[in-house]
Amino acid sequence: MRMDRKKLGTILVVVSVVLILMTVYLAVFFAPLPQTGVKSAGEILSSVEGSKLKVAGFVSAVYSIHFGMLDGPDEVIFSLADFRDYGRYLQANATHSLNQQWWTVRPIDIKSISGGLNPRMGPNLGGVIVVGANLSMDGIVTSNTIAPNSNVTGFSLSSGSGNDITFGSVGSFGLMTAPVAQKIFYFHMPSAWACYLSFGVTLVGSALFLRTRDHKYDRVAYSSAEIGIVFATIAITTGPVWARQEWGVYWRWDDMKLVTTFVLWLVYIGYLSLRAAISEPSAKARVSAVYGILSFITVPMSFLSSRVAPLLQSSHPQVIATSSGSLSPQAGMTIGIAVVAFTVLFITMLIKRVEIAEAEEELEELKRKIGDEE
Amino acid sequence: MMSDSWTALYVAYSIVWLGLFSFLGYMYLRQRRIDKDIKMLKEEVSKHGK
Repeated sequence: MRMDRKKLGTILVVVSVVLILMTVYLAVFFAPLPQTGVKSAGEILSSVEGSKLKVAGFVSAVYSIHFGMLDGPDEVIFSLADFRDYGRYLQANATHSLNQQWWTVRPIDIKSISGGLNPRMGPNLGGVIVVGANLSMDGIVTSNTIAPNSNVTGFSLSSGSGNDITFGSVGSFGLMTAPVAQKIFYFHMPSAWACYLSFGVTLVGSALFLRTRDHKYDRVAYSSAEIGIVFATIAITTGPVWARQEWGVYWRWDDMKLVTTFVLWLVYIGYLSLRAAISEPSAKARVSAVYGILSFITVPMSFLSSRVAPLLQSSHPQVIATSSGSLSPQAGMTIGIAVVAFTVLFITMLIKRVEIAEAEEELEELKRKIGDEE
Repeated sequence: MMSDSWTALYVAYSIVWLGLFSFLGYMYLRQRRIDKDIKMLKEEVSKHGK
């Protein structure tokens, strides 16, 4: 039996290594960059003040322009609105019915101080920043009021240099690909999945232990929790690396997805600490089984927090099972293989960890035996 | 921006590998230590038995 398990373990190790190497290859060379790198003007509102962002949209209003005046740098104040409403906007503009329609997107005000001649804009900036112009730009989120829309949103984007603005043809920035850091997703998401799966196994193991009082279920439960913490740690450390690129900040305490996942991580650290604090084996198993069941509530809390974003503020991307989920077939295949790879890796680790747990118990038993004899 | 993006990708992938291999290494060392202890104690038990 032990031999069979060893054989199975070796096969699983080989399979998971092959699958993970395959995922790396697919993620780096095959899967496309997810097209979410440019934020639309409307989405900027969920960003943190002080974060650096790249936004794209169409100019929906121009408030003031002055160039090369006697004092101060060149300055333009305008509003940028979402591409998603661009078609309707063009139609409404053509029929002079802009004021007769409801506009669901909230434009964001931009203050750009170019500080001199900009090669990409040309000398006549005023001729380019016109209503309907398409542009993408880098800027810092500020909460000061600079133009009428800021009174509504409370946020604006400030650009210190006109060089941060790039003009494009109609809708061209909507297809702009994200920075390559988006590919972190191909490992971040499977890690999160493996952590949810691990804690799910802890839940089942704990419930079965309480029902049967068989310690093999307790071994499975805590072995799985330990592995789950490894995957959760990977997920919550790779996430901020991506967030720094995408949001301009490593962490956001106002984002429910991040906070609930951090709580999940802490709760399971607590699970292992609790086990370490109790020395009597059956009390340890019993108490941690109850804790293992109760703590599972943090898993749906973390998983669902970005899906109920309108209720709970979160700008964490949702990828699977949403109507707006738009993964390309290549990206879908890569993420599918990554999920299978991490699942197989989890099973491999669990088998090995349970084996160690059994050996630990055998060791304890031997120690007790020797202690009794002495 | 692009180079930052690549750096972020390398850092994140390193975290993944480091995390996974550290845990696998920890499990390997733990198993080895326990096996060694068990062997030693078993020898002791058999000596006492004799």
